[in-house]
Amino acid sequence: MKAIETFNLTKYYGKARGIVDLNLEVEEGEIFGFVGPNGAGKTTTIRTLLNFIFPTSGSARIFGLDVCRDSVKIRKVVGYLGGEMGYYDDLTVEGLLRYAASFHGGDTARLKELAEIFKVDLNKKIYSLSLGNKKKVGIIQALLHRPRLLILDEPTSGLDPLMQRRLFNLLREENRRGTTIFFSSHILSEVQRLCHRVAIIKEGRLISVEEIARLRRGQFTNVRISFRDGKAPRLELPGIAHQEEDNGSLHLFFNGDVNELLRLLARYEIDELWMEEPSLEEIFMHYYEKEGAR
Amino acid sequence: MKAVLWRELRVNGRSLLIWGAILMFLTFFTMSAFGAFEFEGQLDQYVELFPESMRKIFGLDRLSLSEPLGYYGTEVYIMVLLFGSIYAAILGAGLMAKEEEEKTIEFLLARPVSRAQILAGKLLALLVYVFLFNVLIGLSALAAFKSYVSSDYSRDALLGLLAAPFLAHLAFASFGFLLAFFFTRRRSAMPTSIGLVLAFYFCDVLATLSEKMEFLGYLTPFHYVNAADIVMNGQVGGINILVLLGASAAAMGASYILYRRRDILI
Repeated sequence: MKAIETFNLTKYYGKARGIVDLNLEVEEGEIFGFVGPNGAGKTTTIRTLLNFIFPTSGSARIFGLDVCRDSVKIRKVVGYLGGEMGYYDDLTVEGLLRYAASFHGGDTARLKELAEIFKVDLNKKIYSLSLGNKKKVGIIQALLHRPRLLILDEPTSGLDPLMQRRLFNLLREENRRGTTIFFSSHILSEVQRLCHRVAIIKEGRLISVEEIARLRRGQFTNVRISFRDGKAPRLELPGIAHQEEDNGSLHLFFNGDVNELLRLLARYEIDELWMEEPSLEEIFMHYYEKEGAR
Repeated sequence: MKAVLWRELRVNGRSLLIWGAILMFLTFFTMSAFGAFEFEGQLDQYVELFPESMRKIFGLDRLSLSEPLGYYGTEVYIMVLLFGSIYAAILGAGLMAKEEEEKTIEFLLARPVSRAQILAGKLLALLVYVFLFNVLIGLSALAAFKSYVSSDYSRDALLGLLAAPFLAHLAFASFGFLLAFFFTRRRSAMPTSIGLVLAFYFCDVLATLSEKMEFLGYLTPFHYVNAADIVMNGQVGGINILVLLGASAAAMGASYILYRRRDILI
């Protein structure tokens, strides 16, 4: 059974585009990344899956259940963390989590354990929490009832790198226990670290669904070199997909062997060297250029 | 539903105590003055000096200030009715609006409860609060009657005067609840519901004063809980009860229909 399936799912807010003809399949047991720039329709998709909003046309199923008709049944087995979710300011962390648990038969067995993992003080009032700590509480409330499917909308925003790693470790562990994870983000690198497959969404439309392993093989790096004498040479090396001179510095789009590039660059006097992960858009532009040329 | 109900019952306790205490005090304090005036009958002479329109508005054309129920019906009842309606409307408007304003609605909707269950939990809490509020005022009024009133009065009519505001409050609570769906922010939903109460009161006053405006009266909940009518008839009219309960049920039903297919965006 598929964990999530959407069939030509479309949502317009009046005339404003949300998502258009989205066809998505998430297998049970996988960690699925959902990536796109802000405003691409990630949150719209997720809100439709949880039936906070109603599709304009098309439909969607979670574990074979219709998201509109069987919404209550679905939410029994789904844990959700919203990007802008608010929590009741007057409650303590424990009060909030107990309130959450009371909808699921009051099972609070995991409450202490999860609070321990994320180092959350259960006695603090919600309003006194920092953004990152609120996020942690949000993650705990999503995991509390051991859901079969976790839907996380930008869960890492506001978390420091240490907490991010804890979260990822925990998500991997949940996944090993069989939990399917649907993870939205606008940062490709974090999706790469965690997910098995990734869907790319842009301007409301699904551009493609790829396996991370396959994407990584074609991983590009942005290289910028500024030369001491202010004259950029033309480099010949396998893996240089694109090079461009710009005011005495050279800009490469590179997916070859970095060692070879460094050996080649050693012949020149170099002022500065930058190597960075390209933006999502750059990767996919080049990725699809290459696919098209083949 | 139960979880939502319990939470609402806990969260709104403080505002009930504040509003309830103020109106209990006003009721008792205002009634205590009756003891001083009771046998003098002078008040009615002063009332004769008021313009007729004013006497009509306060029901003094039919009620006498020197009688316990007349005094309660003109001096205390109007405060309970008006302030209570404002309290009820604000409370009703806040119940859903605060979830959207504080962005907790996603948290709530992510639980395995249907929207109907969420509304039912909130409406039940609303009902409990409006009821408790009226019980508090009723207790205060009964205590005041016991302490300061020695002359005869109709117990049935007094019970009518104590029960009728509950019906009006319930109607305004439901209107406020419904109104909140048209205003996603509490900032605007609350003042609007206060405005609604005052507008309806104004309609009632207009209907009392002008025969041309009489039709307006039938549109406002205040018309159905007129103090003079209750004292004269010794009870709240059965049709009046039905109209107010019907209006409340209609507003609650409309909120359910509206909310069932509503897009929740925060």
